Amino acid sequence: MIDLDTLGNPPNWLAADTIERSRAALEGGLARETWKYSSLTKTLRMLIGAPGVSRAPLADVPEGVSVTRLSALATPPALTLDIERYPLAGITASLAAEGWLIDVKGSPDRPLVLDCETGINAPTILRVHRGCRVDIREPGARGGVRASVRVLQADAGSTVCWAQAELADDAEQWWLLKAQLKDNASLELHQHAAGARFRRLDTHVTLQGTGSNCLATGAGIVGPGEHLDRQQVVEHAGRNTFSRTKLHNLAGGRSRCSFNGRIHIHPGASGADADLSNKNLALDIEAEINTKPELEIYTDDVRCAHGATVGQIDPNALFYLQSRGLPEHRARRILCIGFLTECIRGPLADKVLNAFLARLDGAAPSAAAELPGGSAQS
Amino acid sequence: MRLLDIDDLHVRVDDKPILNGLSLSMNAGEVHAIMGPNGSGKSTLANVLAGHPGYEIIGGSIRFAGADLDGLAPEERAHAGVFMAFQHPVEIPGVTNMEFLKAANDSRLAARNLEPLSALEFMKKVRNLAQSLDLDSEFLKRGVNEGFSGGERKRNEILQLLLLEPKLAVLDETDSGLDIDALRTVADGVNRFHADGNGVLLITHYQRLLNHVVPDHVHVLADGRIVESGDGSLAHALEERGYAWLREDREDTPPARRSSGMRN
Ligand SMILES: Nc1ncnc2c1ncn2[C@@H]1O[C@H](COP(=O)(O)OP(=O)(O)OP(=O)(O)O)[C@@H](O)[C@H]1O
Ligand SMILES: [Mg+2]
Repeated sequence: MIDLDTLGNPPNWLAADTIERSRAALEGGLARETWKYSSLTKTLRMLIGAPGVSRAPLADVPEGVSVTRLSALATPPALTLDIERYPLAGITASLAAEGWLIDVKGSPDRPLVLDCETGINAPTILRVHRGCRVDIREPGARGGVRASVRVLQADAGSTVCWAQAELADDAEQWWLLKAQLKDNASLELHQHAAGARFRRLDTHVTLQGTGSNCLATGAGIVGPGEHLDRQQVVEHAGRNTFSRTKLHNLAGGRSRCSFNGRIHIHPGASGADADLSNKNLALDIEAEINTKPELEIYTDDVRCAHGATVGQIDPNALFYLQSRGLPEHRARRILCIGFLTECIRGPLADKVLNAFLARLDGAAPSAAAELPGGSAQS
Repeated sequence: MRLLDIDDLHVRVDDKPILNGLSLSMNAGEVHAIMGPNGSGKSTLANVLAGHPGYEIIGGSIRFAGADLDGLAPEERAHAGVFMAFQHPVEIPGVTNMEFLKAANDSRLAARNLEPLSALEFMKKVRNLAQSLDLDSEFLKRGVNEGFSGGERKRNEILQLLLLEPKLAVLDETDSGLDIDALRTVADGVNRFHADGNGVLLITHYQRLLNHVVPDHVHVLADGRIVESGDGSLAHALEERGYAWLREDREDTPPARRSSGMRN
């Protein structure tokens, strides 16, 4: 294991035992389980060698929003990192030596565009106050080593739309979003990702309050030599909570694409309604796809559906398109785009679709002429 | 003029023989109906005509508009003018019906070295076709056949037929699952297609559709070959008596006479 002693003392807004707990968690069984398809040691080494980012994550600050350094606050809000599950969050926070609070006290008239720079980004708490409505964008286009930890605290009755597009293929990235929702808070989450040298995205949504809800979609495309690993946890803790999670990944060449989707329904979370589906399309036999759904249910009165599949292009659909006059390569392309389009939703959809189309055509340039599903028609 | 000539066709799937010496000829502008028991090979014939890669042709030939279809990919057959309305049209989520129709139509025009229609012209054309088939234009925005009812799928097949203007329509049980009004709407669509001088090969289990689309010839397909051919009255006889009598009949009829009987 890597020597963590060089990290020094954690900043004042971070619990004093953060590094110790992170160290213990790195060796723990939970980390081994959740880092089955990505190397935890390599990721850790990558983080420790990377430079810190000191700039604030939000450049354009609309009215009703404030951005403050955590170190400048007399009583900084607790950064609930769940280190036992996310030891890298503790390490990242320690490495960053700075943290930010973005306070949303009104409903801003334009989206908050979060910057995720190359390097170790400071942990950011995004607090959306009672009844406020905010649109958050994370157009993470940068490459290089990137790590970031975001904590979203959505107060009662707030509405948040979070759209993220991780498209740079020269990135080595680890990213965590932890979202906590109070009574009747709503989160719409659109996280799209292309494969990269290394990309690991953790998303953890906790539906704490009664009636809180989350709609999540995500599309992924992974090419030869690339790696994409996504871990999605949805916890239903409050009563009458609702979640829908739908992710599609397309993998071609000798690529590696992993997904783990976990629904956890706590005792007392009666009336919970959860649905998680992950579909993967393998374009080559060399593509390695791992997908695992997990369910933990501790309440009787719930509705929960859960599915994960790995498949190839449906020969019947291919024949159907060809029988209508479409050459095979165009028919294949249409089926790939359709599969992805089902999950490309949210404010960054056009951008993501175009980036994915460019990638598909890179693999099969002869198919470039055709654009069904392209942004021109959407 | 000859449109289709199928001669002594033998087809198998996974080493299982399904068509066993099927012969059938059609002239341009004719309507032929094929009836026959479940599992007799009707859809197999339709799929083989459209070029489904899952079927192995081990003997015989198919000539379409004077050319051999052997070795042509499904899209090449489509460009040559073969169209099959599927017994079970396939769902393609994520691809809207409109995008699909546009891509199919553009491919057809490109194969003839013609320019694609403008988006506006195309939309107008498709909307008019949809309307003529009582298909709400909302169906054009949905995923291809996604969540369509049985009858809606069948109407969507006829929409494609009318849009793509082939020379031969092979309709595989397009009448199954249609309500009485929809049957008439679909039949009108098929008749419009036929009125342009095109051929129709109708696969059906029921005489009902044949009241609306009047066949020149009716054939019975059993055990992978045509065992009986006649005019429209044959369909009535089948409706009344089923298929069993044909089998008994066949025992004392030399097969040679049968196969020449269906030629025209
Ligand atoms: N891919 C396949 N693999 C195995 N058997 C097949 C396959 N396709 C067709 N068959 C078999 O071939 C026979 C003929 O099937 P086909 O679908 O052509 O019948 P059909 O006349 O259209 O029947 P129906 O009236 O029920 O639609 C059946 O016994 C069927 O099970
Ligand atoms: Mg059939």
